[in-house]
Amino acid sequence: MLALDLELRQGVFTLQGRLTLEQPASGLFGPSGCGKSTLLRAIAGLIRPQRGFIHLDGAPLFDARQGIDVPPHRRQVGLVFQDSQLFPHLSVERNLLYGFKLLPPTKRRFTLAQIVDLLDIGPLLGRRPRHLSGGERQRVALGRTLLASPRLLLLDEPLAALDESRKQQILPFLRRVRDELRLPMLYVSHAINEILSLTPYLAVMEHGRLLGQGLFSEVIRQNHILDLARSLGLENVLQVTVERHEPEIGSTTVRYDHHMLHLPLSALPPGSETWIALRAADVALALQPIGGITIQNQVAGRLMSLRRIADRMIAEVDIGVPILAEVTVKAIHDLGLSEGDEVYCLFKARAWQYLGTG
Amino acid sequence: MWSTLQPTPEELTALWLSLKIGLWCTALIAVPGIMTGWLLARVRFPGKALVDGLVHLPLVLPPVVPGYLLLLLLGRNGPIGRWLFDTWGVTLAFTWQGAVVASAIMAFPLMVRAVRLAVALVEPRLEDAARTLGAGPLRVWLTITVPLALPGILTGLVLAFARSLGEFGATVTFVGNVAGETRTLPLAIYTYTQIPGGDGPALRLVVLSILLALAALWASELGARRVERRLGHQQS
Repeated sequence: MLALDLELRQGVFTLQGRLTLEQPASGLFGPSGCGKSTLLRAIAGLIRPQRGFIHLDGAPLFDARQGIDVPPHRRQVGLVFQDSQLFPHLSVERNLLYGFKLLPPTKRRFTLAQIVDLLDIGPLLGRRPRHLSGGERQRVALGRTLLASPRLLLLDEPLAALDESRKQQILPFLRRVRDELRLPMLYVSHAINEILSLTPYLAVMEHGRLLGQGLFSEVIRQNHILDLARSLGLENVLQVTVERHEPEIGSTTVRYDHHMLHLPLSALPPGSETWIALRAADVALALQPIGGITIQNQVAGRLMSLRRIADRMIAEVDIGVPILAEVTVKAIHDLGLSEGDEVYCLFKARAWQYLGTG
Repeated sequence: MWSTLQPTPEELTALWLSLKIGLWCTALIAVPGIMTGWLLARVRFPGKALVDGLVHLPLVLPPVVPGYLLLLLLGRNGPIGRWLFDTWGVTLAFTWQGAVVASAIMAFPLMVRAVRLAVALVEPRLEDAARTLGAGPLRVWLTITVPLALPGILTGLVLAFARSLGEFGATVTFVGNVAGETRTLPLAIYTYTQIPGGDGPALRLVVLSILLALAALWASELGARRVERRLGHQQS
């Protein structure tokens, strides 16, 4: 539905890359300041790339070679800003209807009542934006954009200004938009768990470059993304199913393939799927299972490869899924490990990090 | 005692003339002032520094200089003045319409500065939001930029009106001091101070000027407060 390949220079900053979105909901992930917002502004038509094209549903929104640059008000690309940008001089209702009224009635996909109901903002209609809380503002901003009937919904860190509990209140509304309105959306965030709460499909960006895209668990293993993954503690990512909780001993058991892993207690309902992540440096290797140790997870696998990076070794162990372990060169020598050996991966329960629900 | 406070018809004429010229001047520069202020705040174009300088020149020049330039250009023998007379039968020199033009030139920079500041403070991303919601440039301007800059625009209009009331140098140079035609309050006060026994009338006009200025300030304060409440600048 969205395909782009562009280059955009702004002062010393250069944004470059290509992206094809086929999934109804996709994420765009990258550290703060990597150019995610700039890319969204280019898709919305608020800034013009120097080179390349942006196609939506097969038709060009922008094409440098053909000299096509559809102005933002004709693109029907909705953009929800991080800080809502509600019009302060208009009531909530008039904010919601701003784009709606500009559409010919035949092009309106939703009614005010429908959106108000979906986002639960009925009691706010008569208020001014300044009387709303941060979470309410974001819901109104989302509603305002939805009522303009966009062909593509761009969400620019819509939860970044909210605290954790507010985020959890808004996420269900975003899932409803995804499931009930069937609107293609691109969700931009530097918080991977927010993206994974909506979709496992994402593109990764760093320093103005689009590094790759696809299913999260596959993208994150691509070689040129490893450094970024490492800096974020995302070298090892598994999609697991919650099996059972044992609150009295503070433990949650999750299943990956045929492995059972013991993790810290989580609030997720049994049967739900979630992503968990582990740093490579938090994986220990052993030649045999070890007793009398607090490490809860010991999983057998085969050492597939050893790579030396500066003073450390990256070992890739296949336990049904490749697991990366970062150990010292000395440790590998002392154990006499070589490729093809059978090893046990040791994971501390508390070293795993829950990323979000899908 | 009371009778000495009563303005004479001649003095009232000066008051009405000042009001008339002030209002015409304000009305004349309102739209160009908003456009120019917005242009200087938001649009990059070649020669911007030159436009900026030209607009602000009357603010820093002795008023007699623009007045004299107006006389040269718009006077009966000036290139534009002659054209105006030949084509439209309009005479500006030594008429109240000429006084409107003189005070408009002098008040314009104040209006532009106020608008430019107000527009610069309008969050550009609000305009971006409106654009992505389907509003074209003109609609964004009319429904977002101008309403949000309204307090500054009002301030600019009041400043322009006040400047016009106080205008002396450019007016006297360009349109002279013709009783009933171009003798505004400041010119009338000046005239009375130049003749024997003119202190009484001069003082009365001074009081009138002060009242007029206070009324204008009060009206603008009222308007600004109402607009700001609508924009939500004040805490509830």
